[in-house]
Amino acid sequence: MSTIAAAPAHATNTDEKVWGGGHSPFKVSYGKLMMWFFLLTDTFTFGALLISYGSTRFFSSVWPEANAVFRSSPFFEGVNMPLVFVSFMTFVLILSSVTMVLAVHAGHYNDKKGVIKWLLWTIVGGITFLSCQAWEWTHLAHETGGVLWGAFSDHNTPISAIQNFFGTYAGHQLTPADHAAALQSTHDFFNYFFTITGFHGMHVTSGVIFNIMILINTVNGTYERRGHYEMVEKVGLYWHFVDLVWVFVFTCFYLI
Amino acid sequence: MSAHNHNTEDLQVLYEGDQSKLYSGVLSHHKGESVESAGSKKQVSKLIKVTIILTVITAVEVLLGLTGHAAGIPHWLDVTMFLIMTILKAAYIVKVFMHLGDEVKNMVLTVLIPLVLFIWFILAFLADGHFWLHMNTTNIAR
Repeated sequence: MSTIAAAPAHATNTDEKVWGGGHSPFKVSYGKLMMWFFLLTDTFTFGALLISYGSTRFFSSVWPEANAVFRSSPFFEGVNMPLVFVSFMTFVLILSSVTMVLAVHAGHYNDKKGVIKWLLWTIVGGITFLSCQAWEWTHLAHETGGVLWGAFSDHNTPISAIQNFFGTYAGHQLTPADHAAALQSTHDFFNYFFTITGFHGMHVTSGVIFNIMILINTVNGTYERRGHYEMVEKVGLYWHFVDLVWVFVFTCFYLI
Repeated sequence: MSAHNHNTEDLQVLYEGDQSKLYSGVLSHHKGESVESAGSKKQVSKLIKVTIILTVITAVEVLLGLTGHAAGIPHWLDVTMFLIMTILKAAYIVKVFMHLGDEVKNMVLTVLIPLVLFIWFILAFLADGHFWLHMNTTNIAR
């Protein structure tokens, strides 16, 4: 292995200096580069889920209306509040992304107290988001449960039972001709909704666990002894990615 | 590039042992600097600015989502605006929060170029869905 040499002094052209070996051409460590590559693969997993959702939606002649499906909020039973609760969830996730980047920033300056403070806030934000999602899931499972769960593909289910997912204002009344298509698209909509937000929620859950792990390491002084807080940066990348995915989930399910 | 001048023995350790010693990211520029320094505060105010931008874009999205249909904005325009705002938000998160804007160009391209595949994925699969709907709602004697 004697051929390994630090940025060769005799190297004259730029390519040789960058790719000649002995140092990282990307100026990142192995771990950070691999985190980026992992996130790239995860992008394609989420992309595949969202694109198949889009494909199914284009396939369907009628589709549930987001403002009608997501119209409830805790503590306001029966009040029509479209998008309000999910906007709150989105805001919480954005804020937790901000506190995470502040933890990374504190790590850049070896500020242990700052890292601990901002990681704690990030964990609080993550748990808040998960609690909100738990409420929303319970609520929607209740709305679609009981009589309806598994009944969307049963043609004996009356059209009136699913009208509320399509909105009740003028121009959104389902006609008898829509019956089969409406049942099928409601079925598809909720399948994709629970699958994709569930997959995202699992990412948030593991992100919270990673955050707790690096918080413990920070408190124990592991990174202080190591001389840098790169692990906070790597977990930070993962956490921002979770926020990034939510930006697209929010658009695809709640807005368009 | 003096930071990269290790001797050969060190390198053996770096490649086979503690990878984190290869770390030479943003952190290495702040050695000994305080989090209270002017450079640090400037960075934080930039983060706050991006936070405000993200919040405002989200608020506009929600407002458009609530009123767009009733205000008579055509569906295609609605969707186009949502997509532009979504990609803008994503760009801010990746560039500033994930610090991709601070990486070297080769690294940035390595991450971004594979995403070009999405253009084809999205066009192909949405067109396929559209075609199926067309086939299902068309009665042609074959």
